[in-house]
Amino acid sequence: MRLLSAAALAFTVTLPMTTHADEALDELLEARHGFYQMLAMNMGTLAGMAKGETPYDEATASRAAANIEALTHYDLPSLFVEGTASGQIKDSAAKPEIWTNMDDFKTKFGGLVEAAAGASEAVKGGQDKVGPVVGKLGGACKACHDVYREKS
Amino acid sequence: MPKGAPSPDPVREVRLWDPFLRGFHWALAFFVTASWCLGQFGPAKMTLHFWCGYVVIGLLLFRLVWGFVGPAPARFSHFLRGPGAVAGYLRGLMLREPSYWPGHNPLGALSVIAMLAVLAAQVSSGLISDPDDYINVGPLASYVSSSTRSKAVGWHEFGANIILILVLLHVAVILFYRFWKREDLVRPMLNGRKQVRDR
Repeated sequence: MRLLSAAALAFTVTLPMTTHADEALDELLEARHGFYQMLAMNMGTLAGMAKGETPYDEATASRAAANIEALTHYDLPSLFVEGTASGQIKDSAAKPEIWTNMDDFKTKFGGLVEAAAGASEAVKGGQDKVGPVVGKLGGACKACHDVYREKS
Repeated sequence: MPKGAPSPDPVREVRLWDPFLRGFHWALAFFVTASWCLGQFGPAKMTLHFWCGYVVIGLLLFRLVWGFVGPAPARFSHFLRGPGAVAGYLRGLMLREPSYWPGHNPLGALSVIAMLAVLAAQVSSGLISDPDDYINVGPLASYVSSSTRSKAVGWHEFGANIILILVLLHVAVILFYRFWKREDLVRPMLNGRKQVRDR
């Protein structure tokens, strides 16, 4: 009986706590996905122009590139908190290797920061200016996805 | 040359592999190797890898057609045999003598089919892959769901490992025939001529 009440107590004490911690991680994951969603929307704008699927518009291109530049000034790796790897939390595509190679993961993100630097100016002046920028940014996406993104 | 007791039929040299089949084989070897290396070590923008893949699709289609209308040794009906034939061939596999087999032997036929099937699966997953990097996307990716596009990248990576294993096995078996069974399987694939025994 004592055991039972102890268990009940432990349950009632820990239950809200774990739920709280889970919620925090869920919010973190949501923020992360939001970050990539914004990155994707702006990348999509540039990629569409680079491929000629959408007509080139200097202001639109420059704004999309500026958004990407701005996004890369956010400290993305800080959103990769322990407990948010794939398998640990629903919908995460982050490979556990990120946490065992955090320095390299940060270097990979640094690659994106570098690729994005000056992009808002680089895409000005014509449709042919967009391709090389998308190539550089896409290369940075790929370098990280190849190693740290779950394919599912 | 087999020595001793009964040697039923004499060994003779025949034109076994037709020029188209040989061309197919070496082109496939080249373009599969090229695609594999480009995929693994190539530039981030995978245009060349894509083109190699398209060539492989063409080659696979040729082989499929050739398997029905080509010369006898190239036909699926000629070399696809049942488990009994495979078991029978396996019994003589370790003998230190050439097989003198006139074509794909029953066991090798399974390897042929495995390689063609895996390559077909590999080009299919490649066509619908989207690694989400905005520079590479399979030309048919937009026809499947976004989760399939993403999963296809994983299948494509897995397929690359299977292909590596099958190719290494293929080369290892050729070396086994060359040095254990003392039968050269490379030359027939170059000049088409092979020592065979009718059966």
